[in-house]
Amino acid sequence: MSDDIVDVLIIGAGASGAAVAWSLAETKMRIVCLEQGGWMHPADYPSTRRNWEAQMHRDASPSPNLRRQPADYPINEDDSPISILNYNAVGGSTVIYAAHFPRLHPSDFRVRTLDGVADDWPIDYSTLEPYYAENDRITGVAGLAGDPAMPPHEPPLPPIPLGAVGETMGRAFNRLGWHWWPSDTAIATREHEGRARCINLGPCNTGCAQGAKGSADITYWPMALRAGVELRTHCRVREILVGANDMATGVVYFDADGVERRQRAEVVIVACNGIGTPRLLLNSSSARFPDGLANRSGLVGRNLMLHPWCIVQGVFDRPLASHYGPQGCCILSKQFYETDASRGFLRGYDLQVTRSMGPVNTARVGLARGTIPWGAGHHDAFAMRYDRTINMGICCEDLPEHCNAVTLDATLTDSNGIAAPKINYRLSENTLKMIAHAFDKGSEAMRAAGAIDILTEGPVRMTGWHQLGTARMGTDPERSVVNECGRSHDVKNLFIVDGSVFVTGGGVNPTSTIQAIALYIADTMKRRLANLFD
Amino acid sequence: MRTRAMKTIIPLHPEGAKPAANQATNQIAMLTELQTRTLDAVLDLIIPAATERGLPGAAEVGVLAYMTREAPEAIPIAAGELDRLDTESRRHFDLPPAAIDDAQRLALIESIRREIPAYLDRLAFETYSCYYQDDRVLDVIGLEKRPPYPTGYEVDAGDLGLLEAVRSRGQIYREV
Repeated sequence: MSDDIVDVLIIGAGASGAAVAWSLAETKMRIVCLEQGGWMHPADYPSTRRNWEAQMHRDASPSPNLRRQPADYPINEDDSPISILNYNAVGGSTVIYAAHFPRLHPSDFRVRTLDGVADDWPIDYSTLEPYYAENDRITGVAGLAGDPAMPPHEPPLPPIPLGAVGETMGRAFNRLGWHWWPSDTAIATREHEGRARCINLGPCNTGCAQGAKGSADITYWPMALRAGVELRTHCRVREILVGANDMATGVVYFDADGVERRQRAEVVIVACNGIGTPRLLLNSSSARFPDGLANRSGLVGRNLMLHPWCIVQGVFDRPLASHYGPQGCCILSKQFYETDASRGFLRGYDLQVTRSMGPVNTARVGLARGTIPWGAGHHDAFAMRYDRTINMGICCEDLPEHCNAVTLDATLTDSNGIAAPKINYRLSENTLKMIAHAFDKGSEAMRAAGAIDILTEGPVRMTGWHQLGTARMGTDPERSVVNECGRSHDVKNLFIVDGSVFVTGGGVNPTSTIQAIALYIADTMKRRLANLFD
Repeated sequence: MRTRAMKTIIPLHPEGAKPAANQATNQIAMLTELQTRTLDAVLDLIIPAATERGLPGAAEVGVLAYMTREAPEAIPIAAGELDRLDTESRRHFDLPPAAIDDAQRLALIESIRREIPAYLDRLAFETYSCYYQDDRVLDVIGLEKRPPYPTGYEVDAGDLGLLEAVRSRGQIYREV
């Protein structure tokens, strides 16, 4: 191993890696981040081309198994009804996320206490609140204060436009007496911190050519680099090394030329999210840790939560300009978010009204569903649906279950020969009951809005964006992987800062909380530098 | 007003199709003359022209050139399927597919699909994709013929006054 020792080595330059790198930079420690992907080039994003819709299912696919770029690794998801979606680059999956940025609820941190299932987190909403606010400011979050479904907070930017889609569903929710509110969204609705404002390109989930979407490559990374953090791209970590004293000593990685190298470090921070983190830890087995690094609890890779996702689509009898605007965000209903056991299940879901599809994807999806057939009925069927549909995504909270897991595949490897992850996931009875309820309520909302045709679908396979719980946080080393400060119980200089530390998943998009946790862990590290390994 | 449940999980990308890197080329992949005539007949079955709406048929929008450029791996699949249709057409009608009528062609295709459910799925997928990028089609449906960036689009901010009803109902999150 090289004699060069850095103070902090961060693995992964996505949402959490970027946030922790920026936060720790003020210590002036020598910080290096290794990222297996590269920098994005906004001029290459699909929205700069005429064939932007077609690109969404080829080079710009969210599935690494379809995209097969050099930075991707394959994932065996044969035993999961949900496919894993990610992006390996500076900025990570924030490059392709829809930037929907809600916070968890206070109750999401107390599931055992309130609902008698799963576990409580060792931290709570009030602990993370200042970090949520700081992250909102740095990322540039648009929203509207006063949401009665959330503790008071002040998004720094005005909300994204409702459009006819948001108004139509807002009026419907009002008729039903249900909650709704403009979504907290990581999109700059006016110029923010030198970034241009959103101009409603539409396909946020294939990269924002305008730079208005708050992806980590344009929010945290420029500041972290100016502060002296070193970011090495196209560097894929094979394993984390550990010494006889159960302390991490560094990593083995493949550099941009594919040459195997070693980097020593005083502290190792893993930021590879709910699939990548357990995969790396399991691939880092040794005599000291035969079941994977930091895995004496047996919980690395376990309790995978994916937020099963369903769709209710309404077709309307008038044009709604429904594919214009930020694609993944419009308004959000939390009417069925908090637990009400009388519904027959615990925990809940939210109804996320999103923009619809452009003409190519309207046609493609119609072909797949049989709603836009060949032949004589084609043109009428297309005209009925294009620009006249409203999609409602339903994000369900799945409970942590030991059987839902990330393990190492016996034969599948990436291009460097590193064992690929294998996903085992099943939908629980609680989730299935929740989905049935959500279909019923989502359809009710569409009827209240005046839809002339309603379609329900799910759980949808290509929706595994949220990967949580696989290195959970807790105070008991036998029932958790890291402590309340994100430090491994087993390896005192190993920290995990990404979605894998979630104890429960909540029922909303997790990136806001992931970054708040990363900032919180970085702060605890800074406060405890003198006795960080005690 | 109908409500329909889709029980199957719908992939947006056809099963079994391996994406390849886009290959920019000025050369259109070669089908035989017979395959090309069959292709045109099939394309017009997939999306027929609607002259009263100003819409072309799918045989007029350059599907083969599109597939050569965007999905070259799908062309051999289509060629094989077109050959199968030709075989069936000659067996039943003693004529190539281009020489029989739409109803007969459609009946043959449906018969093959009973044996091979995914028959022509990939061709249909690429046909739909190509068709809805054609300038004439975009003119009819009212979409500007340009990439979203750098001009973007205007979206109405909407009436936030609608939220007064939500505010008036008060807090709905659980205190801890």
